[in-house]
Amino acid sequence: MSASAEATRLLPRSLLISITTVLVAVVLLPVGYIVLASLNSDVGVASGEFWPSSFSLNSYDKIWTTADLSTGIVNSLIVCAATAIASALLGTITAYVLVRYSFFGRLTILRGLVGLQSIPGTLMLLPVFVLFSSAGNYLGLTVIGTRWGLFLAYLTFALPFSTWVMVTYLRGLPRELEEAARTDGASTLVILWRIIFPLSLPAIVVAGIFAFLLGWNDVLFASVLTRPETHTAAVALQVFGSAQEGGALPVYSQMMAAALICAAPVVLLYLIFQRYLVGGLTAGGVK
Amino acid sequence: MPGRAVRAKAKERPLWLLTPGGLLMVLVILIPLALALWISLIDLDQYTLRRWIEAPFIGLGNYTEAFSSGLLHSIWISVSFAVLSTVATVPIGIAAALVTQNAYRGRGLVRAVFLIPYVLPSFVVATVWRTMLQPDGVVNEWLHRTGTLWLSGPHSYWTLILVEIWAAWPFIYLMALAALQSVDHEVHEASAVDGATWWPKLRSVILPYLRGPVLLACLLATLNHINNFTLPFVLFGSPAPDDVNVLPMIVYVTSFQSLRFGLSAAMAVLSLVLIAIPLFVYLRAVRLDVHEEGGR
Repeated sequence: MSASAEATRLLPRSLLISITTVLVAVVLLPVGYIVLASLNSDVGVASGEFWPSSFSLNSYDKIWTTADLSTGIVNSLIVCAATAIASALLGTITAYVLVRYSFFGRLTILRGLVGLQSIPGTLMLLPVFVLFSSAGNYLGLTVIGTRWGLFLAYLTFALPFSTWVMVTYLRGLPRELEEAARTDGASTLVILWRIIFPLSLPAIVVAGIFAFLLGWNDVLFASVLTRPETHTAAVALQVFGSAQEGGALPVYSQMMAAALICAAPVVLLYLIFQRYLVGGLTAGGVK
Repeated sequence: MPGRAVRAKAKERPLWLLTPGGLLMVLVILIPLALALWISLIDLDQYTLRRWIEAPFIGLGNYTEAFSSGLLHSIWISVSFAVLSTVATVPIGIAAALVTQNAYRGRGLVRAVFLIPYVLPSFVVATVWRTMLQPDGVVNEWLHRTGTLWLSGPHSYWTLILVEIWAAWPFIYLMALAALQSVDHEVHEASAVDGATWWPKLRSVILPYLRGPVLLACLLATLNHINNFTLPFVLFGSPAPDDVNVLPMIVYVTSFQSLRFGLSAAMAVLSLVLIAIPLFVYLRAVRLDVHEEGGR
């Protein structure tokens, strides 16, 4: 080890190794359990086995007929993708104006964008539910139970969050290019399209992914605003899980397979975009 | 630099670009928030829901009823749960940041593992722990206990805290790591020249750098703990056992199982008041004004 690495070392070697080992073990035990249990038999998991007495991929086969998982995954993908695209694009435009121009009420809006991320979801769900059901009663529109309704509801949290992610990114972006384009007579829309969008593409992707994950991870809104046909993956898993209690034979192995399938897209997104996403996490501070 | 903002102001400002995002935010945020406040003042239940505009106005009636129907108990559970979870995650998060600060072979892998609990969706985490904590489940098997109930009764409160700690410590870790990486190399070298051993160096040189960012992270983490609905909902089901009847759960059950929408709105508004205290501190501490920085 070089002298400078020695200088920045913060902990003695033995302590470093023991802390790392304990933390890795604490994380990996439950994670390993999901994998092992999903490869076990339902009976094996129900009797408390950690290491399966026999390995098989049966659970991954059976789960598609036992639980309504495929409908849920398709619905989740549609609704979350729509939320991601809408909030990333609108968030970029809004953030651009917020960062580059000063006007009355700008600070209030910025404060609101941060504050809104900490508003309890339960507080927003109730009025959204009442509004949606009155759209049915007063206007004859069905909103509750549709994917559109869920999409609108997710914008409640996704839109301010994506806008804030873009604000933190755009304020670090130098203005020289825009100003040069402006002296050449480019309009704001051209500047947005030709300069801002291409330059901030990584941040737009991050904003979109976070919006996607907000929707994918949500149980609260989806549990109230969907019907069985429009269930999201999260609700499918939750309903499936709570149906196991009191049943004759709980199918825990299949449940772990389903949990792993629901986690897979999220883990995949993180693996691909790890560098960008971790930066975004510390900037926005919301999962 | 305010000068730049003023210069831009003199030119034409394309504020109309705010319209699509702004209108949508008014529609999906401001109107629902105002409506929530209104609902908390009317007697809205499943009978009056169809024609909720005509539901009777009862002033603060829902608020007084909220206090007599277990809200104080829920506030206590929520606040103690949130504070205990935050306090417990801070040393874990800082320790994790310290052990991944210096490069070694395999550090990338360790960092990836540390992110797992945070990356996994809450509903997946809750489902897994719920399975592991069944009376015949693997946790009781490990502890050589038979039939200990983790998901109901007095144990459930500690179950909730432990699972929340498991899922939430990487957030503190990430914030602490970001702060650690901003400590100048000279600081390390200076203290190394002084011949300080690791603990005094850590305590008086390094940890002071972490104080601000970690305190900020604590505020946010506490808010997230208080607002966490998914974990108790999936872990314990609804209605939740009395010991884990946190604010989001009581609000949810009151509206969507007891169908007392007015009462539930009053409870939700009161939880917002509770959250407003740490939120206000956070908003004061976080840098909002985008023009101060010039251009990094």
